[in-house]
Amino acid sequence: MTLPDGATPLLLGSVAAFAAGLWLLLPSVQRAGWLERWSSRLGVALGAAALAGLALAGRRLGGLGEEAVFQIVAAVALVGGTATVVTRSPVYAAIWFALALTGVAGLLLVLGAQFLGVATIVVYAGAILVMFLFVLMLAQPTGLAPYDRVSNEPLLSAVAGGVLLALLTVSIGRLSAEPPACCQVPSRADAVAAAAAPARPADPAALDADAVARLGAELFGRHLVAVEAAGLLLLVALVGAIAVVSRGEAAESAERGAA
Amino acid sequence: MNALLPSATTIAALVKIGLLVGGLMTAAAYLVLLERWIAAWVQDRKGPNRVGIPLTDIRLFGLGQPLADGLKIILKEDFTPSHVDRVLYNAAPLLILAASLAIFAAIPFGSVLPPLGIAGLPDPVPFLVAPGLDVGVLWVFALSSIAVYGVLLGGWASNNKYGFLGGLRSSAQLVAYEIPLGLGLLGVVLAAGSLRLDRIMEAQAASGVWYAFAQPLGFVVFLVASFAEAARLPFDLPEAEQELVGGYHTEYSGIRLLLFLVAEFLHMITAAFLIVIMFLGGWHLWGVTGAGTEVTWAGALLRFAILSAKILGVIVFFMLVRWSWPRFRFDQLMNLAWKVMLPLGLANLVTVAAVEELRPWLVEHVGSSAAGWLAVGLPWATFLVGWIVAGVFTPSSTDNTPILTHGPLDAEHDLDHDPLDDVAGGHRLEASPR
Repeated sequence: MTLPDGATPLLLGSVAAFAAGLWLLLPSVQRAGWLERWSSRLGVALGAAALAGLALAGRRLGGLGEEAVFQIVAAVALVGGTATVVTRSPVYAAIWFALALTGVAGLLLVLGAQFLGVATIVVYAGAILVMFLFVLMLAQPTGLAPYDRVSNEPLLSAVAGGVLLALLTVSIGRLSAEPPACCQVPSRADAVAAAAAPARPADPAALDADAVARLGAELFGRHLVAVEAAGLLLLVALVGAIAVVSRGEAAESAERGAA
Repeated sequence: MNALLPSATTIAALVKIGLLVGGLMTAAAYLVLLERWIAAWVQDRKGPNRVGIPLTDIRLFGLGQPLADGLKIILKEDFTPSHVDRVLYNAAPLLILAASLAIFAAIPFGSVLPPLGIAGLPDPVPFLVAPGLDVGVLWVFALSSIAVYGVLLGGWASNNKYGFLGGLRSSAQLVAYEIPLGLGLLGVVLAAGSLRLDRIMEAQAASGVWYAFAQPLGFVVFLVASFAEAARLPFDLPEAEQELVGGYHTEYSGIRLLLFLVAEFLHMITAAFLIVIMFLGGWHLWGVTGAGTEVTWAGALLRFAILSAKILGVIVFFMLVRWSWPRFRFDQLMNLAWKVMLPLGLANLVTVAAVEELRPWLVEHVGSSAAGWLAVGLPWATFLVGWIVAGVFTPSSTDNTPILTHGPLDAEHDLDHDPLDDVAGGHRLEASPR
């Protein structure tokens, strides 16, 4: 995202409003009475203002439809992420997180990274979160645990989140504004690949028809060792989980035999 | 103001969405009627044949039945029990229907139209809502995994034991069978070299060899897995009526129940689409349709008709299977997924990968026709070996005799001890005379 001139104050203000809203929304016990009564409404209002500010501060995307879809999915991702940490019920937190992931996947789709967008849904929302929901639904006792009801350090976490968000946005905005060619020495593999690959389409807005094929060739060409190592790591984790389970069963039956 | 007007591509997409959603909803309604007719035929009775044109005596073989069914279920009381989690209870049916419909954005429902010559609209116009989506197959996967949420949340939010058990069973089943489904699909993607469903159809039309013939093992694995994904008999454990009343939608009534039922039917239609597109050649038929993307209007309609006819055939097969096999037990279901379908899917994938890797070498050394025969023969050899191995080494997975092993729990429950003795305080109950 490239920042337009003069947008930085607006951006920082929005981030500050976002952090303040987050602090108000986080469940806490140490607030004054009047603040406690108004905190949720005030927090939502600040959050909405922050969203509006962020929407205004960014660069325009081009077409009206594209812009609208981008803003909507971005808002979905932000609201979902905020609600994930703010809500008290673990099941609702998981569902809000799934919504945030859907928003992120939508952002990736709008920006042309189709494979990443769809893979985010398949891997996170489709597999991992369903497992989480399973466990939460099966293991939820009546009522909420203390760690669900109260947030530990609402002020510190809101400030830390706000500072991180502001720094990242500003620095990424600066970085992508200038061409990064200065600091990169092209490697031999890069040069070979550049020579072998067909020329990129002239229109950067058009979808790359071979994006997925290119990504696959890159993953299973240059980064083959990393992919294999990640696969091996997952396999080891799987075997480890089975080993832990079977050892637990063995210990249990030994205990029963002793009794 | 030009930016505010929708472009020709947008209008074309909206028209396609309208046609597709309208067609799918009508098809779902009439497929319910077809299912009832087939059930009646299998059970040797007449089935619904009364309702015809409203307010007249014309019966029309019962073709008015979907209208009557729909009106009846919409006009029923939409009751919300007091013990449910209201937000999720209301969201679940909407979520599942939205996800099931959005799947069709990436599924082609025909070939292409001949050039229309409309400014701003790239020719030829494909029968596909999102033609630029390069990850069609993954999109289908992603959205069907979103549909799992509808089932899980519907079951949990109902706050009802039957509903919850149905939701858990369903999501466990869907997650387990996504793996063999994906393995069956990977073989096709590998052979076609594209994740786009329209390209997969074009690849089959170009070679003339449908993937069901080139990858028989993958076809069987995918077929079984898609029955499980659509939760059709013999995999309809999520809503096994005899055990769970209605499974995850036990507490639903009226139009929200209708949304769940339509979503289930859409899952079956999606499965039929995928089977036809990926394994049965899509719109291609030897000697009738041709292979390229240059078509006349008659050719385009013919391809559409052939694709629809194939899909209808697969759906009829689904419905006949429903009345031909009993339901699996849950352990059998899981054994089948993890111990039979997963290894078979892997065997198919390895075979296809080997064939695709060896094909250029074979063409060079033994000639192209011999290479073609080998490329089809090797998967068939794998199919036979896999079938024999699966049949010989997993016989117990369909055995219904109770397993009388002495597990850790059996110390507390003596198998010879009659539990009725405890109920009657040590005195054996006499069978009451009836």
